[in-house]
Amino acid sequence: MINILIAFCIGIGAIAILLASIGLLRMPDLYLRLSVTTKAATLGVGLILAGGALYFQDVGVTSRALAIIFFITLTAPVSAQLIGRVAYLIKVKMWKHTITDELAGRYDSESHALESDLKPDEVELPQR
Amino acid sequence: MMKKRFLLNVMLTLVWAALTGSFTYVNLSFGFIISFFVLWIISRDSPDRRYFTIAFKIIGFFFYFLYEMLKANLQVAYEVMTSNLHMKPGFVKMELEAQTDLEITLLASLISLTPGTLVIDVSDDRKVMYIHGMYLEDRAKFIQSIKAGLEKPLLNIMR
Amino acid sequence: MNLNNFILYGILPILSLSTIFVFIRFLKGPSIVDRVVSIDLMVIIGIGAIAVYSILTDQPTFLDIAMVVALIGFLSTVAFSYYLEKRNRND
Repeated sequence: MINILIAFCIGIGAIAILLASIGLLRMPDLYLRLSVTTKAATLGVGLILAGGALYFQDVGVTSRALAIIFFITLTAPVSAQLIGRVAYLIKVKMWKHTITDELAGRYDSESHALESDLKPDEVELPQR
Repeated sequence: MMKKRFLLNVMLTLVWAALTGSFTYVNLSFGFIISFFVLWIISRDSPDRRYFTIAFKIIGFFFYFLYEMLKANLQVAYEVMTSNLHMKPGFVKMELEAQTDLEITLLASLISLTPGTLVIDVSDDRKVMYIHGMYLEDRAKFIQSIKAGLEKPLLNIMR
Repeated sequence: MNLNNFILYGILPILSLSTIFVFIRFLKGPSIVDRVVSIDLMVIIGIGAIAVYSILTDQPTFLDIAMVVALIGFLSTVAFSYYLEKRNRND
């Protein structure tokens, strides 16, 4: 019974990782690749580690697996954001079907400071 | 008051584990739940009851976020497997209601963990967040879904 | 069909297939940032493979190595992004 649960967890996790790698191969530009891969891979590794914790059923192993899951969930968005920002700064090409780019021209080219460019009346009336 | 309640809860959990004599995960979490309800019953007349409502809110938000993440993952999986010509990616600007560093960090992590959206940067005066989205048929609807689905429940917990 | 056979003939081939896909992207990648992203994903697949292998051989000690690999992978990504930004700024 517990074996079926472990096999289910590990199987779903491996399929999520496979989907992440297919997405990395097939998506047309860097930002789409980044936004597909990081999350699916995080979900896959989390499920595989949960399957490992279910298999051993030991306090030390479970806390180790939980620590790895926590760490990966904490660091994956941070690294995705850093890489996406750097890719925008060094002007990686976008897909030709990209419809809007509201970030264009907002970066200071020398100091890389980012301005918010809100008009005063826009600050007064936030969208509800 | 919240810290005091939480420390009391942990102490009661340890007392429970020492009394029953087994330090396994199941027993510790069972002791935590029991001491939580004991504290709840004890402090029913106390005016500050934030600790008890926030616990249920956090649990509810956790499961809500898990459900949203699974749903969006299925959507992205469908997108990966089929021909991907009907995506409309783009960068949009979202005005922030979150103020402090912790709130902005948590909000950015949650947005980045939902598939299809990716935070590129937060402006230096912390008023605007730039998001890369995969499906931008309707810009106002996209921003509204992020604000109502992630930012409002998060601020509801944090404040 | 027990768990070992399932892992040996079902899970490990899927993981190696995804490693091959990521490696194709690593060779093809038009910019250097694509290569950094594929290295990042390869590290994550490696963590998954280590966890699966520790189930297969019944040795929970391998999870320590998985933790160290997770830490080093994050550090390398941060270092790469920092370096790319600085390099672009100074030339």
